[in-house]
Amino acid sequence: MEPEEVGTFISGKNVDLLPGDNLEHINLYAKWDNDQETRHYARNIFPTTLEDYKKWIEEEKTGTPSQLNFEIYHKGDKKIIGYVGFNHINWSDRNANIGMVIGEPEYRNKDLGTEAAALIIEYGFNELNMFKIGCGMFEVNVGSWKVAEKLGMQREMIYKEQAWVDGKYVDDYKYCIFLDEWKEKRKKLL
Amino acid sequence: MKEKLSSEETKPKEYIAYPFIEGENVELCPTNLDHVKLYTKWVNDSKARIYARNNRPHTVEDITKWYEPSESRGLSKYVTFEIWHKKDKIPIGTCGYGRINWIDRNANIFMSIGVPEYWNKNLGTEASRLLIDYGFKELNFHKIYAGIFEPNIGSWSVAEKDGFILEGVQKKSIFINGEYVDARSYRMLKKDWLKNHH
Amino acid sequence: MEEKEDIPIMNFIKGDRINLTPLLQKDINLVVCWMNDPDVRTYTRNPLPRTIEEVIKWFEPKKEEVKTDVDFLIYHKNDEKTIGMVGLTDIHWLDRNANLFTVIGEPEYWGKGIGVEAGKMVITYAFEELNLHKVHTSIYSPNERSLKAAAKIGLIQEAVLREEIYIDGVHVDNHKFAVFKKDWLNLKKDEEM
Repeated sequence: MEPEEVGTFISGKNVDLLPGDNLEHINLYAKWDNDQETRHYARNIFPTTLEDYKKWIEEEKTGTPSQLNFEIYHKGDKKIIGYVGFNHINWSDRNANIGMVIGEPEYRNKDLGTEAAALIIEYGFNELNMFKIGCGMFEVNVGSWKVAEKLGMQREMIYKEQAWVDGKYVDDYKYCIFLDEWKEKRKKLL
Repeated sequence: MKEKLSSEETKPKEYIAYPFIEGENVELCPTNLDHVKLYTKWVNDSKARIYARNNRPHTVEDITKWYEPSESRGLSKYVTFEIWHKKDKIPIGTCGYGRINWIDRNANIFMSIGVPEYWNKNLGTEASRLLIDYGFKELNFHKIYAGIFEPNIGSWSVAEKDGFILEGVQKKSIFINGEYVDARSYRMLKKDWLKNHH
Repeated sequence: MEEKEDIPIMNFIKGDRINLTPLLQKDINLVVCWMNDPDVRTYTRNPLPRTIEEVIKWFEPKKEEVKTDVDFLIYHKNDEKTIGMVGLTDIHWLDRNANLFTVIGEPEYWGKGIGVEAGKMVITYAFEELNLHKVHTSIYSPNERSLKAAAKIGLIQEAVLREEIYIDGVHVDNHKFAVFKKDWLNLKKDEEM
């Protein structure tokens, strides 16, 4: 697909971030969120239907948004490969959480997730005037916290036995990065 | 013009409560929309709201919406109680669980004594103990957690006395009184609670 | 409305011969077909005719706070065909138990162990993902095929509720079967060794 349809919101080297929550792509979102491997650590415990996505996207939203979603677009292959976004945005505290899914398996383990995350973190600090950005993942989701550490995030919390995964309780990790720390790190990443 | 709460309306009057959990000095009761003006007053109170993170004013209509009966008869993601003072026959605060995750079997505990004359009388501690027993014994939780801001020493020292364990501190997470403060995270696992309560 | 071809198969839980996929609105026609089919509906408790409009409403995204049912379609990988439905109903989160149901809608797939495979996948999901304590199911005496399948799955009979269900002009017994998380997960561990 051509990004000119909805516009490229943030431009990167190998990937761009396009506006998310696109009603025309709910087939893709549903495919990723329901796929057994993809959903394993993403906490999609119940199947989601196309009607669910339609409802969420069409729902009237009032007040300042508590989340902002983007699609990750692979420039070379002209393909949407996943999504990334902010959730739990707190505008008074100027902080938010990041969530990301690389939905197309061939594009994992290629540092594209790191690049997409770097773009959205930059957007959060540089444009949304954030002070602190965080992300959480299960201790068993090693891939995810390795990406967080590559981005210069620090582990600030371990929540013991916080989630039931694969038949047992696992710990939940919380990573974060502050504005001044990012100002240093971004020189190497962007 | 919005109704102002006169001193008549905040004096103890004929309040009715239906005890759900009985304690020595307090009872935990279902919330009562007849008391909604009191709840609103507590939520907006300039002292109490700072550490409860209510940084926007709420109207009686807003609070009525919070406590309106839900359509479903099943479980929900939160449980709220009114704290009822047995001797004085008056509601003094609210408490309960939010963010209940029935799969991970955990929830966030909250407790708020809204009437300042009842602070520092260990009533919060008593209500917390009743609430924690209820969480583990009746709701079958695996873990109860609480987030308390660093400057709110009164609150987290009580939590530690009650047996909550500090999981960690998130630095500069909340903007209060013109500066960023840290947020403490406490946990209580069912197995730890069982060790202390036979 | 999306073309059927554009909607990919979403493999929520992957198995050997079958995958479990979400129940989408486009599938309701097939489900209603099974609900009304006289051979299929005998033991699945559909004594009233169902319309497509009715059933679409049942499966519309609900406002409920906490889900009490989960439904999957059974997709046969080799034949590339949706052949039945399986899932959990009456999920009690506090007591942590749920009822297992299975419907093989296409009769050519009866007696081939599909119900057993689907049942095992849902029970594993119930314990490994939903953190339930117990999964139970009801099978009626005349339904010999299902009674055999229950044993093959590893469900243990807990009780017989006598003359509880009215089918084909007579009252029949309701056999209650169940399995517990620790037994199931231990079994799985042994199988994997």
